[in-house]
Formats: sequence, C-alpha cells, structure tokens
Amino acid sequence: MEGLFFNVDTGFLEGIVRGYKSGTLTQSHYASLAQCETLEDFKTQLSATDYGNFLANEPSPLSTTTIADKATQTLVDQFNFIRSNSVEPLSKFLDYITYGYMIDNVVLLITGTLHERDTHELLERCHPLGIFDTMPALCVATNVEELYQSVLVETPLAPYFRDCLSAADLDDMNIEIIRNTVYKAYLEDFYNYVSTIGSTTADVMHNILAFEADRRTINITINSFDTELTKEQRAKLFPAIGRLFPTGNNALAKADDIDQVRQVCENVSEYRSFFDNSASAQTNGDLGDFGVAAQLEDRFFRMEVHLNKLAFLQQFQYGVFYSYVKLKEQEIRNITWIAECIAQDARDRIHDFIPIF
Amino acid sequence: MGDDYPTLFRSEQMSLMQFLIPTEVAHDTVAELGELGNVQFKDLNPAVNPFQRSFVGEIRRTEEMARRVRFFESQIQKEKDVVPIRSLYDSASLVTVGPSAAHNIDELDVTLAAHETRLVQMNDSYKTLSERTRELVEARHVLRETAVFFEKAETQQTDIRTSFDDSSAPLLQHDDREQQYSSTVQFDLEFVAGTIDRTRISTFERVLWRVLRGNLYMNHTDIIEPFIDPATGAETRKNVFIIFAHGDALLAKIRKVAESMGATLYPIDANADKRSDSLREVTARLEDLETVLYNTGVNRRSELVRIGEHLARWQDVVRKEKAIYETMNLFNYDVRRKTLVAEGWVPTRDLTMIHMALRHATEESGTSVVPILQELRTSKTPPTFTRTNKFTEGFQTIMDAYGIATYQEVNPGLFAIITFPFLFAVMFGDIGHGLIIFFAALYMIFQEKKWARQELDEIVGQFFYGRYIILLMGMFSVYTGLMYNDIFSKSLHIWHSGWDFLEAEPNGASYALSNGHIYPFGVDPAWHGADNGLVFTNSYKMKMSVVLGVIHMTFALCLQLPNHIKFKRPLDIYANFIPQMIFLQSIFGYLVVCILYKWSIDWSTRDTEPPSLLNMLIAMILSPGKVDSTAQLYRGQGFIQVVLLLLAAVCVPWMLCMKPYFQWKEMQKIQGQGYVGLGHRSGGPRESADEVLEIEEEGNGRVIVEEMEEEHEQHDFSEVVIHQIIHTIEFCLGCISHTASYLRLWALSLAHAQLSEVLWSMTIEKFLGVSGIFGTIALVMVVVFWFSATVFILCIMEGLSAFLHALRLHWVEANSKHYQGEGYSFTPLSFAKLDEKE
Repeated sequence: MEGLFFNVDTGFLEGIVRGYKSGTLTQSHYASLAQCETLEDFKTQLSATDYGNFLANEPSPLSTTTIADKATQTLVDQFNFIRSNSVEPLSKFLDYITYGYMIDNVVLLITGTLHERDTHELLERCHPLGIFDTMPALCVATNVEELYQSVLVETPLAPYFRDCLSAADLDDMNIEIIRNTVYKAYLEDFYNYVSTIGSTTADVMHNILAFEADRRTINITINSFDTELTKEQRAKLFPAIGRLFPTGNNALAKADDIDQVRQVCENVSEYRSFFDNSASAQTNGDLGDFGVAAQLEDRFFRMEVHLNKLAFLQQFQYGVFYSYVKLKEQEIRNITWIAECIAQDARDRIHDFIPIF
Repeated sequence: MGDDYPTLFRSEQMSLMQFLIPTEVAHDTVAELGELGNVQFKDLNPAVNPFQRSFVGEIRRTEEMARRVRFFESQIQKEKDVVPIRSLYDSASLVTVGPSAAHNIDELDVTLAAHETRLVQMNDSYKTLSERTRELVEARHVLRETAVFFEKAETQQTDIRTSFDDSSAPLLQHDDREQQYSSTVQFDLEFVAGTIDRTRISTFERVLWRVLRGNLYMNHTDIIEPFIDPATGAETRKNVFIIFAHGDALLAKIRKVAESMGATLYPIDANADKRSDSLREVTARLEDLETVLYNTGVNRRSELVRIGEHLARWQDVVRKEKAIYETMNLFNYDVRRKTLVAEGWVPTRDLTMIHMALRHATEESGTSVVPILQELRTSKTPPTFTRTNKFTEGFQTIMDAYGIATYQEVNPGLFAIITFPFLFAVMFGDIGHGLIIFFAALYMIFQEKKWARQELDEIVGQFFYGRYIILLMGMFSVYTGLMYNDIFSKSLHIWHSGWDFLEAEPNGASYALSNGHIYPFGVDPAWHGADNGLVFTNSYKMKMSVVLGVIHMTFALCLQLPNHIKFKRPLDIYANFIPQMIFLQSIFGYLVVCILYKWSIDWSTRDTEPPSLLNMLIAMILSPGKVDSTAQLYRGQGFIQVVLLLLAAVCVPWMLCMKPYFQWKEMQKIQGQGYVGLGHRSGGPRESADEVLEIEEEGNGRVIVEEMEEEHEQHDFSEVVIHQIIHTIEFCLGCISHTASYLRLWALSLAHAQLSEVLWSMTIEKFLGVSGIFGTIALVMVVVFWFSATVFILCIMEGLSAFLHALRLHWVEANSKHYQGEGYSFTPLSFAKLDEKE
C-alpha cells in the first residue's frame, strides 16, 4: 500500500535523485581522471562529466581544496534542492541525514575551541550540511553541561546529548566519548525512526544503519586498545543495533587485541573479508596495527558503497536519498584523492580510491 | 546531379572531403570555413582523450580568456548604472587571421589580463573602502541609537528617582549618595554594543539568554537602510544592539558569542560627551572616505566603460577562437607532422565555394601553400542537409521533428507546405477566424526584421518562428471558410441562393423549394439555419474528409516510387508499392468513387432510397457478392465488389511473400555460384588489397577513420521475413485505421463551426434586439467579450488543436506510407550558429 501513494509526494524527488545518481562518475571517468597530468587537465576532464563547469570561474592555480569545496557545494546544492521540495515524512528523513553532520560539526567546534583555534577558521571547516543557527555559540562553552544548556538544548541533537551530561570536563578523551555516545544515540534513534516510515524504507535503511553501527563498534574497540578507556565504558559506547549486537558487542567489549575482533567478525559472513589477509600481513610484519586499521577503513568504505548501491535496487523507499548523499560523499573523497595524488605527484597510489559504479 | 538547382525534394548531395592543410594555415583555413559554415568535420581521433589532443594548450588559453571576458561581463552587469556595451557591428574589428593573427591574439590576451588585474585591484580597493565605510556607517548608527537609548534611560531613571524621592523622606546624605549612585549607575552596568544581521538577532538573543542565564538586558533597533555588498550586490539588513550585563566574565562571553555569530562590536563610551565627540569624528572620517570611495567608483566605472567598448568584439573573437581550436582538435597529423589532415562532409554543390575559401585563407595568411582538397570514396551514409529559407524553414522543421530524412530520400517537408495548411484549414474553415490569424501572421512578417534581432520569450518566439505557416494556414482557412460559407458562424450571400423559403406554415415551420439556381461556389447559404442544416453539413464533411484522406494517403504512397527508383530497388516497387496501391484503391479508392458517384445522382428522381455507403462497405467485406436490391448503388455492384475484394485479398500474400522469396532466391543464386562460406574472413584481405591499390592511385585518398565501417548488414533471412510480416500487417490494418483517422477532419471542423455558432448565439445575438442607450452599451461590451473569446478560444485554442491534428495526420497517416526518416542532420561548423547557441 505504501507504494500506491508514494509517488504522490515523493515520486518527483525520487526521480530527481535517481537522475543525480546516474550522473555519478563511472569507472571510465575515473580511468581518464587518473591519467591527468595536471590539475588543469583534471578540470577539463571533470567538465565533461555531470559536474559540468563547476570550476570554470576559478582562476588558474587550482588547489585540491577548491576542487573538494566546489564538489561538496554541488552536493549541498542538490541536497538543499531536494530538502526544500520535500514534505513530511521525507523532510524529516532528510533532516535525520543532516544530524550526523551536525554531530561532527559540534565535535569539531568543541575540539577546536579546546585547542584554542580561531573560531572563524573552524566554522569554515564545518560540513555545510551540518550547519545550524546557533552553532557558532558552541565555542563559548567550557563544559558539557554548559554546552547543552546554552546551545544544544534547542537543536534536534538535544536528546542525544542528554545521556552524556555526566561527563565532567572537556578534554580530548571526553570529547571522543561524547562523540561516540551521541553518535550511538543518533544511530539508534535514526534506526527506530526509519522503522516507522514504511517497511521498504526500513528494510533498506536497517541494513545500512546496522553496518554503520557495526563499523563504529569495531572502530571503537580497535581504537580503545591501550587507552585509559575501561571495558565497561567501552561497552557503553556500542550502539545497541547492528548485526554484531548483542553477542558480538559483548565479545568486543571484552576484546583485548585485534585477533579477538577478527574472531567476532567471523560470525557474520559479510564481515569475514574485513580481516582476510590482515592476519597474513601481520605475520609478514609489514603492517602494524595502524596499517590494519587503515586497510580496514578502506574495506569499510567499500562495504558502505556496496550497501548504498543496493539501496537503489528498491523503489518506493527513502533509502535512495540517504544512499545518494553517502555515495556522492564517497565520490568527492575519490575526486579529492585523485586530485591530491596528481598535485603531489604520487602516481603510484592514484588508484587507491573506491570506485562506485 | 550536383549541378541541379537546389531543391527541397531531396536533401543535398554530400561529399566526404579530405583536407590536407599545412599547419601554418590551419587556423586561418578553419576560420574561413567556419565563416562559410558549410563543412561538418569528423572526429578523426575518437579514441584520444579530450586533454591529450594537439591543441589543448590553445583551448585552455582561450578558455582563460573567455573566463576573463565573462568576468568583465558579470562586472558590467552588476554595475547599477547601465554601462553601455558597444554592439559587435560598431566596435573596432580585430584581425584574427593572417600573419598578424598570433600577435593580435597575444596582445588581446595581455590586454585582457591587464584589464582583469586592474579591475580586480579596483574591486579590492573599492571593497576595502566600502567595507570601512560600512563599518563607519554602522558605528554611526550604533552611536546614534545608543545615544537615543541612553537618553531614554536617563529620563526614566530620573522618573524613578523622583518617585523614590517622593515616597521617602528627603535626606541630605541620602541625596548625596544618590547623586553619587546616579552618576555611577551608567558606569556600573557595563555594556556591549554593535551590529548584527537582522535574521540572526533572535537566535543571538536566545543564545545569550541561555549562556548568561538571563543576566542581561538587551536592546536592539533596526537600521532602516540596507547595506549593499559591493562585490555581489546583495543587500543585508542589520540591527544595532546594546547589551548590558554585569561582570567581566559575562561581558567576555557576550563578546565571544557576538563575534562568533558574525556581529561587529563597536567600543562605545558611556559618557555622553565622549559619544558625541566620537560621533563627530566618525562623521568626519565617513565624509573623507566617501569622497575617496566615490573617486574609486568613478575610476572603476570608467574602466568598465572602456571595457564595454570592446567587450562584444572580445566575446566574439574568443568564442570563434575556441571553436576553431576545438575543430582543429578533430584533425589528424600526417606522418611528417607538417600538415593537418581533416575530413568532413560538404554539400557537393558548395565545393567551389570551399575551394575559394581555401584560396582566400591562404592569401590572407600570406603563404603560398594551398590546402589540398580531395574527395574520398566512402560507404558511409552522408548527413542529410536540406537548404531552407525563412519561408520553408518552419515546414521543414515540422517534418524534421518527426525524424530527419534518410539521405537523399524524398522529403515530405516540400509537400507539407501545401498539405499542412490545407488539412489545417479543413478543420478550421471560417473566413473570419482565418482572416484573424492571417493578419496576425502578416503583422509578424512585417515586424520580422525587428523581432528577429530581439530576444522573444518562448511562446511568442514559437509563434514567430511559425509565422509563414500561420500565414498559409490563415489563407487556406479563408478559402475553406468560403467553401463552408462560414464567417464567424454566419453565412455570406454572394450569389443567388438555390432555395426559396415559402411562407411559414401555421405551425411555424417553413419549407424551402428549389428555384433552379445552383450556387456556384461553396455551400448554399440557405442551409444556414435550416433545420436539417446540421445533418447536411455532417454528412458532407464526413464524406469529404474520407475523400481527402484517401487522396492524401494515395499521394503519400506514391512518394515511395521516386525513392525506389532513386535507390534502385525495383523489387520494392513490385513487392511493396504495387500491391499496397492496389489494396488501398480496391477498398478505399472504391469507397471514394462510390461517394462521388452517390453525390452525382439526383436521388429524388430515383425510385430507390440512397444507400448507406458505410453499410455497403461493411457488407462488401462481410457478405461478398450479395447486395441488397433496396440498397443498390448501380447495376453489377455485387460482381465488381467481389472482384475488388479478391484483388485486395491477393495483395496480402503478395506483399507478404514476394520480397522474402526473391531475396531468398538471390541468396540461393549467390550460393549457387560458389561463394558459400565466404563471409567476413575472406573479405578481409581483398578489401585491404583494394585499399593498398587505392592508396597507390590517390596517394592519401583513403578514409582515415573507418571506425564505424557500416557492416554490410548480414541479411538474415528470418529477419527479412519477420520485417515483411510486420510491415504487411501494419499496412493492411493501417489502411483501415488511417482512413478512419481522417474522420478527425470532419469532427474538428464540425466542432469548430458549432463552437463559433454557440459563442455567437450566447453573446451577441441576445443583445442585438435590445434598444436604447443601455442596449448600445451592453452590445459594445458583449462585442468586446465576443471578440476576445473568438481570438482566445476559437483562434488560439481551437487553432492549436487543429494544428496538432494536422501534424498528426502528416506524421502518422502520411509519413508511415513512405517516409523512412533514418538520417542524421548536417551540423556544420558555423560561427553564425555559434552565436545562436549562446
């Protein structure tokens, strides 16, 4: 029945977003981008794609940050177009997408203020999708209580922060804890929300969000080795959703080294490949923990791209909007990576991006 | 063939030409050819990335120049007072061909860069200056508003004080202390003042309230005039705020919040004298700054005016340069990299012009090396190029919208010039309405020169584009209107009517008697208003539309013939054209003959009733040979109908089998001659041997890119059969449905006549009898209403619908009979078209 009236409110926007999606760069685009000698070539090459003339009015010495900024700007423009044309419940869903960026921005600002960075510089570095009115005032706060009372209480993030008010002072460790607690709350809330807006959306989004949660769980575990974070605290940070939940989460909470993490992941067939040859790499001594983590991150991204691509296979659901934003984000990362490689003449690593289509 | 006078009947003959252009003259040659607009260059390096081609550097340079020119343009547009841009025809020309071209382009590049740096500098200084002005203006506002506020606060304080004084006993000490207090009260409550964006004020207030836990007193007022950003021209509106709070920590917090929210703070002294001092100072500085700002603005403007002098020329040059280099990127270098090799389609007729252009280009560039032009033999289908003028363009576009004609195919656009307006007019037959649209089109044609240069909006532009179609549609509508004897639903009495109305009978009915006259042209006006008038026009128009339809389809079918002859497909004549023609004529041609025959008989003198032709046609197919004697049209009808039906029936297997059979036999014959199995493999070496020979003969005269080597379609026999089956079924069913489809002529023309009659009788007719001043006024108003309804509903809406139906009759009913429409259009490199695109 949802499919019956879906197009009344959302058909247009779904069409738009699928049209945007068909504009994402393909393998052959990437191949020709990777052949570029200079960023000027890169610009010419990009102008033949859906990005069009987004760099046409930039004066000549291009920097990779300009490219990234402009590309992000195109994504933001597209998102805002969709957002302003949407109605409930899609608009609420789209808002949920921005919450993730808002959390990142909040954390960025708090960390920046803590290290006494210039506020304006920090504001420029914030992701444009996660900007909210009262955000600049964040830099005044010195502890979580104040943060919550003065700024966050009126933002949609308020309920997520309620859980971490106990954390006393703002230091790097606490900020990290806050970020993870908030993100956990956000993911769980989002997960519950998508369950209320139709089964198709729920099916698609649950898959993606479950993976997102598992990724955070694994990351938290790996990053908390050899830190002051106690195992009880660690367990608290794990989102209570995902495919590893609950047994996997419990095991991860007790894990002491990366091998134990791997064993936990073995239980989920899709995750089995994450640690596939990292073990062999370790025996070779090539990669330390850091190397494994970097490699893992790469695989996570691949998995994310894969899941988001799957979202486009289903119609009459909102997952495509989320997936499009994520895929485009990945594409911008790819473009930036290639541009960076060209700029720094690191041709051997130019192919280390994650192709989408 | 190439010497023929250009015609619309077939598209131009094209030749694939190879240009061998020495590198030195390449640029000038392309420029010359671009001016000519007659060559469609082929991409000779399709496999090469856009940025790996030969002239990327130049393109990039022109792009950079284009960016600068765009920058100037946007700057000029943003300027509030209009900066005149001299039109292209007035401005000084810039030589971009010949020996001095490179120098000129370099110079232009330098000039553009110089202008840009100057402009950017001026913009920067203008911006900083206006930024400072803005700050000062804001400071002035803050000073003024705070002054107002302080004044108000002071009076209030005294109010409070006096009331306090009244209530308590006047004590000297107390008074003293109070004096002290009142003088310090302003200093005690410290404050922050500044300006902030109006949209942010509420957020700002909320955040401050929460951060300071309510320990503040905030006041703000609007600044009435907006601030204008000099760079973007965007307006921002701001508010002055003043916040009182207690304690350094709080003030610091306020400052921090304010700064992070994008507010500007100004140090304001609490002391009134100091405030007025600084106000004076600010005003003085503001005056100074404004003079400087004005001067900078004037300088900037004069720079822009100077740029505006040349801007149009620069745009033109840059655009052309870019097009030239992009074209040159399609070229290939020969082995020694001395000459560029280009290939392109050229209308064979224009070869001499191109030769002239090439020679001219060489002369211009001052070298003696002439580019070499030679024709290539190719099996590729050339593009379709139909020369049109402003009159035929519209009609050709109608047909091109359906599909571009296959190369050298009979072009239906030629016939549409007459058939299209005619079919339209059949549906739109009214002298009055026809005249309205005729004069509208005539007006557009007289305004042609003026409008062609203007930017018209989309709707007007479309009507303007079709002005000649509308003109013809109007003329034809007048003609059919005369035929139907309809003018705004009334009729004309030009000649004597053939009928006299008798005296009215007691029941109010009156009968008409024939008086022997025959109305010489069109419908007798006596039918108008007669009780059976509708019945008469109904049957007349229905039959007429069938007659017109069958004629139109027959004509369209005949257009196959020149195609088959031209492309040497005799089999198609025997296997398709002839059976199709017989099929169509034996059923529907016969129907037309019957209609005409029935019209020609005076049924009142016959003893039988006039037979229904519809029933006759149905009976002819369902019960062949049997004709009801009461419904007989002529003697021997049954036999003739059986013969015709048999003819039609024979045509179906004829169409179905003959072509596949002969093709199969052809294949058998080839196989019988021992060419079995010599498919691709053995073809390869032979071809390459041919190529070698060709090279020896003509030097480089070989098509360089054979990439799209159109494979000789391996005629799969089953494919031929299936194709033919589909074709046959489509034709046979199509004959029936298409004939029925022409009935839309009847339906629409009837609807049009009825609608205009209803409009007349509902409006004007009711007010014609009313007399007196009231009646006159009412009549005038009703006439205005009637006329606008006539124009909008009958002429525009009905006209559009009749247009659509005429379009459909051409596209579906007529084109399906002969038109292949599988070509691609000729898109030459043309600077004139480049301008249109922008």
